Amino acid sequence: MKFLEDIILKLGAVDRRVIFVLIGLAVLIPLLTPISLPVRETPTTVKFYDGIEDIPKNSKVLVSFDYGPSTRPEIHPMNVGVLRHMLRNGHQIYISCLWPDGIYMALDALEEITDEVNPDNESTFDIKEYEDYILLGYRPGAEAVIKGLASDLRKVYTVDANGNFIDDIEMMDGIKNLNDFAYIYSGSAGYPGTFEWVKYGGDPTGVPMSSGTTSVQVNEVIPYVQTGQLIGLLAGMPGAAEYEKLINVPGIAIQGMAAQSFAHIVIVLFIVFGNLAFFIKQRRDRKY
Amino acid sequence: MLLKRYIPIAIVAFFGALTLSAWFIDNETIETFANDDATQFFDIIAAFAVFLGALNLLKLQFIKVLKQQSGWIYSAIAIASFFFAFIIGFFIRGAYFVGEDVYFSQKAAEAAILGSGSSEVVVPVDWGAHVQTDGSLFQWMFKYIFSPLSATMFALLAFFVASASFRAFRARNFEASLLLVAGIIIMLGRVPIGSLISSWTIMYILAFSIGIGINSYVKNRNVMFGWILGSCGAITGFGMTMGWPIDQPAIFFLPALQEWIYLVPNLAGSRAILIGIGLGIVATSLRYIFGLEKSYLGE
Amino acid sequence: MSFSAILGAWIAAFLTLGIFSYLYKDNPFYKIAEHVFVGVSAAYVAAISFWTQIYPNLFGRLFPKDGPLAFTGLEFDFNHEFNILYLFPLILGLMMLISVFQQFSWMARWGIAYTVAIAAGLKAFGYLNSNVLNQVKASSVDLFSGSLPFFSLGGDSVFNNIVLVVGTLSALMYFYFSKEQTGNFGRFTRLGIYFLMVSFGASFGFAVMGRISLLVGRFNDLIDYSSADYNYATLGVLLFIIVTLGIWSFQNPEQKEN
Repeated sequence: MKFLEDIILKLGAVDRRVIFVLIGLAVLIPLLTPISLPVRETPTTVKFYDGIEDIPKNSKVLVSFDYGPSTRPEIHPMNVGVLRHMLRNGHQIYISCLWPDGIYMALDALEEITDEVNPDNESTFDIKEYEDYILLGYRPGAEAVIKGLASDLRKVYTVDANGNFIDDIEMMDGIKNLNDFAYIYSGSAGYPGTFEWVKYGGDPTGVPMSSGTTSVQVNEVIPYVQTGQLIGLLAGMPGAAEYEKLINVPGIAIQGMAAQSFAHIVIVLFIVFGNLAFFIKQRRDRKY
Repeated sequence: MLLKRYIPIAIVAFFGALTLSAWFIDNETIETFANDDATQFFDIIAAFAVFLGALNLLKLQFIKVLKQQSGWIYSAIAIASFFFAFIIGFFIRGAYFVGEDVYFSQKAAEAAILGSGSSEVVVPVDWGAHVQTDGSLFQWMFKYIFSPLSATMFALLAFFVASASFRAFRARNFEASLLLVAGIIIMLGRVPIGSLISSWTIMYILAFSIGIGINSYVKNRNVMFGWILGSCGAITGFGMTMGWPIDQPAIFFLPALQEWIYLVPNLAGSRAILIGIGLGIVATSLRYIFGLEKSYLGE
Repeated sequence: MSFSAILGAWIAAFLTLGIFSYLYKDNPFYKIAEHVFVGVSAAYVAAISFWTQIYPNLFGRLFPKDGPLAFTGLEFDFNHEFNILYLFPLILGLMMLISVFQQFSWMARWGIAYTVAIAAGLKAFGYLNSNVLNQVKASSVDLFSGSLPFFSLGGDSVFNNIVLVVGTLSALMYFYFSKEQTGNFGRFTRLGIYFLMVSFGASFGFAVMGRISLLVGRFNDLIDYSSADYNYATLGVLLFIIVTLGIWSFQNPEQKEN
């Protein structure tokens, strides 16, 4: 018993670089040798999926890219999935960005779903700018931008991301403000994002909305889901993986789940070991 | 005093009250100004603030270089990087279209036309659109310089979170134990591996943990062994009669338990925090508008 | 693969691994990457803010095509009408820029005051409506109609609703500091702390999850860059950094001890 306790104590005092290496390996090995684990949908993800299914077919929807490269692994697969899901249902997509990097995320996502179009496969699409989607682009100003969009979109955006006049674009006919969209979705990594869309977009206009958020943000946003201010929620990379499963296009999030799982196991083991070492040390200190 | 103090306070009082009132007052002029123009002013000033930030950064780094303070060479790198990105952002269009293809420079685009012998013409991207165009030089910089840096800075934290949970995450008392257990259940229950852990495993682990708890509480090994034997026997008995279903009883199945914690007790706590923050921000906002809070003056 | 993509991959791999090298210890590779990040991101955000906001929405309104200021030679056609009011944000913005000089530092206050005003006016209502009223409304849940089961792990139930109401109230009461938290009130707020602790625990779990996801993303990119398409960028840079760091710590053994 004492021998075991000594080993645990020794492990408890291990150099932190050893921990770094272990966590690095726990993530790297499953990525190099893919292992498939069963993904199980959680109710908030299912609600999110159903919410998008419930939008009347061929509607106009606003998709906001409110994230950058720092949180791309979490949000990007969600947004790619949402674009696929919406295009399958024939919606026209209007893309806005509250983050400066959002525009590049949007360009990447569009490239991903238009690359090598295969008509039998509902993961890529033959879509045209100004017919199926429009890139409104980025505007700085966070909640003030949303407030402006809720009032008059054409004051915030007079030109789209390509520099073309909004008034000359046929796809923009009949769109004055947020009320003219059937649905709002924000792929959000923090401020500005989900919170601001709920407060200044969804709540004041009553347009149904939902969001995909980083794991870090999930816990702050979850009360909005229970109240119905958000119709479901995609929570971090695991949420994205669940959504990929629901829309039946396995992607980078599902591939990442093995690495995610192993890293979590390793961290839980760290916590358990750390606590065992703590208790043993505490008991020995008390004895002497 | 007037310029430095009273005017800023008046600006906050006037525009704050105007923006707030626009939510309630049914007057088109006020509404249009507050919703459209006032927010546009905000957006424009926010953009200028970004420039101020950049200028301040440059000022600090230049001072470091001029005084040759320690690490000045890195400051010089920061300045050089700034001007590198600044030139790409402000002075180079960086995107010339030939049909569908995009080239970084006019020359490259013309060479491509000559090479292919096509009758296409080179169309330079509009100023302004050049920072939002796929295939532009600015996007290249974003993709290969800004992106990896910003993403790796955040990813680095994964290692420190792991190390911190090993060193600092201790069940010192009941509250800390609650935090720890909730954290672990969320961590395991929300990823695929959680649904591979049978609820029976969790029950055995629980039985052992409670046994250890009993031992440290009553300090009697016999009681502990009695408990562990009894409870494990009971669990095994139940398991054999029920046929060991992996997700039953649901309360010990991590994904189901995680979902309950997430959507019930956690939601209650999160909602209280949300309401608390809400009330706090409403009060602070009103204090700003009424001129009671002047921290923005740097006082 | 084009030359620009391969060059980009090598740069990206160097910057990524440079930052990761901090895990070994603080070193020049990390410092270089860090300072490149500071410089590039400042100019990057400035460029985007200028071209997406100041250029179309400020210049476009002050110097529209055939506008009254067209005689200056400045004309920016963004389909805006001339609007003299936009001199106001221009002046406030320029004052902000001038404030970089120490003796004019007060000038930034006007612009800051304006942003504070708009934020306060927007937030006072937004938070009241979305965070307070809607959340309070949602807390008045069904307990007595008899249409719900008493307990259900996965859905609405009377028990879950009781926990929600009691949890929200007790945790909110914990934030109420105008009354000493003793006696029955103290016991109630103690319960509130437990709910908050569960919430913080869940937040911790989610925070870990998020960070690991980001690491997965970084490793995926590094794995991509290690392919032959990119001339094995990751492996080349990794080898270079390890060898250099090794030589450095061999040359300065005293630093190693530190």
